[in-house]
Amino acid sequence: MELVDKIKRLTSEFGVSGDEKRVSAIAAELLREYTDEVQIDEFGNVTGFLSCGVEGAPTLMLDAHIDQIGFIVTGITDGGFLRFMAIGVDQRMLPGSELAVLTREGVIRGVVGTIPAIMQDDPTASIPIGDMTVDIGMTAEEARRVVRVGDYMAFYNPPFELLGNKLCSKALDDRACFVCILHALELLRNKQLKVNLLVCASIKEELGGHGSLYVAYRHKPEFAIAIDVSHAKTQDAPEVVCELGKGPIIDIGYNSRPELFALVKKAADDNNIPYQVTPCPAGSGTNAWSIQLAGKGVGTFVMSLPLKYMHSPVEVLHTEDVRNTGALIAAFAQAFDGRVQL
Amino acid sequence: MIELVRDLSTFDGVPGFEGDVREYIKERAEKLCQEVFCDTQGNLFAFKKGEYTPARPIMLTAHMDEVGFLVKSITEDGMLRIVASGSVDPRVLIGRKMKVGKSKIAGVISLKAIHLTKPDERKKAPELKSLYIDIGADSKDEALKYVSVGDTAVFDSEFALIGSDCIKGKALDDRIGCAVLLKLMEQDIKYDAWFVFTAAEEIGARGAINAVQRIDPGFIAAVDSTGAGDTADTPVHLRSCAMRDGAVISLIDRGTVFDRALREKVTAALDRRCIRWQYRTRSEGATDAMAHVYGTGAKVFGLSTPVRYIHCACSVAYLPDIDAVLKAAGVFIEEAGDMNA
Repeated sequence: MELVDKIKRLTSEFGVSGDEKRVSAIAAELLREYTDEVQIDEFGNVTGFLSCGVEGAPTLMLDAHIDQIGFIVTGITDGGFLRFMAIGVDQRMLPGSELAVLTREGVIRGVVGTIPAIMQDDPTASIPIGDMTVDIGMTAEEARRVVRVGDYMAFYNPPFELLGNKLCSKALDDRACFVCILHALELLRNKQLKVNLLVCASIKEELGGHGSLYVAYRHKPEFAIAIDVSHAKTQDAPEVVCELGKGPIIDIGYNSRPELFALVKKAADDNNIPYQVTPCPAGSGTNAWSIQLAGKGVGTFVMSLPLKYMHSPVEVLHTEDVRNTGALIAAFAQAFDGRVQL
Repeated sequence: MIELVRDLSTFDGVPGFEGDVREYIKERAEKLCQEVFCDTQGNLFAFKKGEYTPARPIMLTAHMDEVGFLVKSITEDGMLRIVASGSVDPRVLIGRKMKVGKSKIAGVISLKAIHLTKPDERKKAPELKSLYIDIGADSKDEALKYVSVGDTAVFDSEFALIGSDCIKGKALDDRIGCAVLLKLMEQDIKYDAWFVFTAAEEIGARGAINAVQRIDPGFIAAVDSTGAGDTADTPVHLRSCAMRDGAVISLIDRGTVFDRALREKVTAALDRRCIRWQYRTRSEGATDAMAHVYGTGAKVFGLSTPVRYIHCACSVAYLPDIDAVLKAAGVFIEEAGDMNA
């Protein structure tokens, strides 16, 4: 399967933080192509282990999260509309958008509505999420039969391609990065490594990296790379330095260890892989922040895929960045012997 | 009916660019009507013989155009700036998929990530002039290979059945009206009627004004779609009309005072036949009916389908309401003819 098709397969499914199981199953299936040792834990984290065959070799964890931002139903009105709260969403994205309501009977489609503009006091103000509802085309009686308070909802938007090798979808954050890892595994097929690889598709990143923390604590890897998305420059965010199409972003700071940074940078230079550098003065906003604290400490590194319009229903990536991010993960993993110079 | 609305809503028809919608309707109308032709403004006229010929012509209109955009400029980094054709709230554009130009190039309108915004910034709605369509081009030169200034841009939104007997899609205003007229043409009608599919209603009923002067009808029904106000937080007494409450009959709007005698005859007939209808109880907006002043004088009737989230990518309508509008349009022909036989 082509890289783009793998991304489309993962982002076509819905899996909001805390409700990732359908996505976990797809991630596990894609990972089984590279190792027989694939597990889904009781929370939905997917792990795959690839031993290098060397006794006592250290383990490098490669992590990408598979949860996505979304919404939870908080009530059903007498008109059959759904009240909801949001996780990590700009309220300005919502009026006129389409949501998938993940009910016990399956996915149903809904539209986010507000009171008509002509009845609003200030049509230049954005509308608070508490004043929006989801219209599922049902009466209250019908809606209450199908939807329960607590049901999850997600942006409906299926993936599609734009010009210039761009891909647009919901949930590219961070399932596209899981595909970067799969691409690295493809490049590493039949290659002798000096470290074991622990691949992780983790849950609940959007709420603070809870899933990857369990995995790191249980499997105790010596090192970990959190592969996540990072903002790319747009017209309305000229202050952002990194750009789409210029390769993976590598971080340097306490959370993205300077000694690992030197090795990753060397791997990129040795293999002519383009990259962009970002300083990481404190928290990286990725799973590296939580993984680092597991047990006696994990040597963490942050590698990012540039992404436009993060947390919108129409996130945009450059497919060459996916390829180059995978290539850099592979180049580093192949060169790395588990020894670092503090 | 669903198939007609689905097909029609999938076409794009920014004012002045109604060609795809017109071709689709023309092909069907030619099989059902005695006379079909277009004028220079893009209006499509179809004349169907009835059982009787009224003293003065009876005319029904539905507009083919939809609110949309034209590309205003292309920025150095390959983004498309747009201007609106028709009235659109810029707040419903953010996060939407768009299609641009004749070759339907895919694009998106969005905003920088929430992480890069301040709480105060998120409380304000961006103006249209600050939004842009991203088609994936990295530069102006690359964008120019696919898009030109002046190309149209419209919402790209899948037509779907949702909930119980509801449809969701773009351009339901007024492809529903177009579908209703096409469906009515399939039936035997009591009086001769002109079915006029108009251009450019969304920028001031421009097409209808020329159409009225050409036909000089004695009776006009504008078959349109109107915003349903039965959303969650709208006070009941402020609603214009409600989805699921049947065909919407106009009293007055910003362009028209609807003919009282005609309205009372039609609504009485609807009651006799148990066809569900409601009054439109707000006066904002206008329809093709406003064109009635341009001829030698016509009695004018306003008939609409209630549509939630009108002028959005995802409008919602209720199929039995559309059926009620179809029946009411048929009743209009009979009542208008009887008044005028």
